[in-house]
Amino acid sequence: MDNPFNNLKNVMKKTVFKDLTFSNERKDAVKEAIQGKQSQLNLHSWKESTIIALLETLQLESRDGYDISTLLFQKHELCFQNNEGQLYTLLHLLENKGILSSKWINEKKYYTLTTKGKKYAAAYKQESTKQLTSLKHLIEEASL
Amino acid sequence: MSELRHFLVTIESLEEKELIIDQLMQEYSDDLLHLVYTYVKNRTTAEDLTQEIFIKCYEKLGQFSQRSSIKTWVYRIACNHCKDYLRSWHYRKITLNEKIFDYIPSKSIHVEEEIIAKNEEESLTQAVMNLPIKYREAVFLHYYEEMPLAEISKVTSVNINTIKTRLKRAKELLKDKLIKED
Repeated sequence: MDNPFNNLKNVMKKTVFKDLTFSNERKDAVKEAIQGKQSQLNLHSWKESTIIALLETLQLESRDGYDISTLLFQKHELCFQNNEGQLYTLLHLLENKGILSSKWINEKKYYTLTTKGKKYAAAYKQESTKQLTSLKHLIEEASL
Repeated sequence: MSELRHFLVTIESLEEKELIIDQLMQEYSDDLLHLVYTYVKNRTTAEDLTQEIFIKCYEKLGQFSQRSSIKTWVYRIACNHCKDYLRSWHYRKITLNEKIFDYIPSKSIHVEEEIIAKNEEESLTQAVMNLPIKYREAVFLHYYEEMPLAEISKVTSVNINTIKTRLKRAKELLKDKLIKED
């Protein structure tokens, strides 16, 4: 008996894999997921109130992610409810923009407002009463 | 100024990454889907997992070090992703519970299988699909994907001599099975 696998490719294509293709809908779903991930890397895709609430939790002292998440919850900022991982995406983003700095203490990562961060949080408070520029704008400008 | 440059580079590389994934999908998506199917034997699950594999590739693209070809790298991610799925809690608890129904004898299924088995091509495919996973994987990659043994070894992280043995053993298992059916 010759090798039963010799013709395997053709045979499988005709049988189990018949009409089994990765559809355009599936490809689009992948592209959409990728674009979703990219937009999280952009500050504009976050709600301003969320960013402010987060900065406010750090105004007095450094905190770790879990602490921040609890405080936000107490402030009724529910953006990260059942979606806690997103908080860390935003924290990293703000860290990259130089708004926050972080330090590992006892296996926990503590986040602190940088001078830049404090400046913008304060500026936002002033501006928001005048309803002029948005914090996001300031941060984007600062990172350019 | 350097911050601006950094920002632009990030944007550029993001777009480039998206483009690479797009190309990978054009080139390999059907083959990968078939590979995934040989592991999970369910079309919808295979499509879901293939989708996840491309997203994973996008996330890990920065770690691709060009030490292997991109095809080998993608296949390696795919194999690992399938094996993770088969080890997962969801698969073991939920899918296996559903599978129990397969073992409850049913006349209609039995008749159907007999008709299918009459077809020689179907019986070869079925025999391959019923091989234990380590043999199925090696057979698929070697005879369907036509991958050289060294590449299979890279994709599956299995020693090349072990792959040889598995292919030989798979051939024996299959011959036994096909002879019995005759």
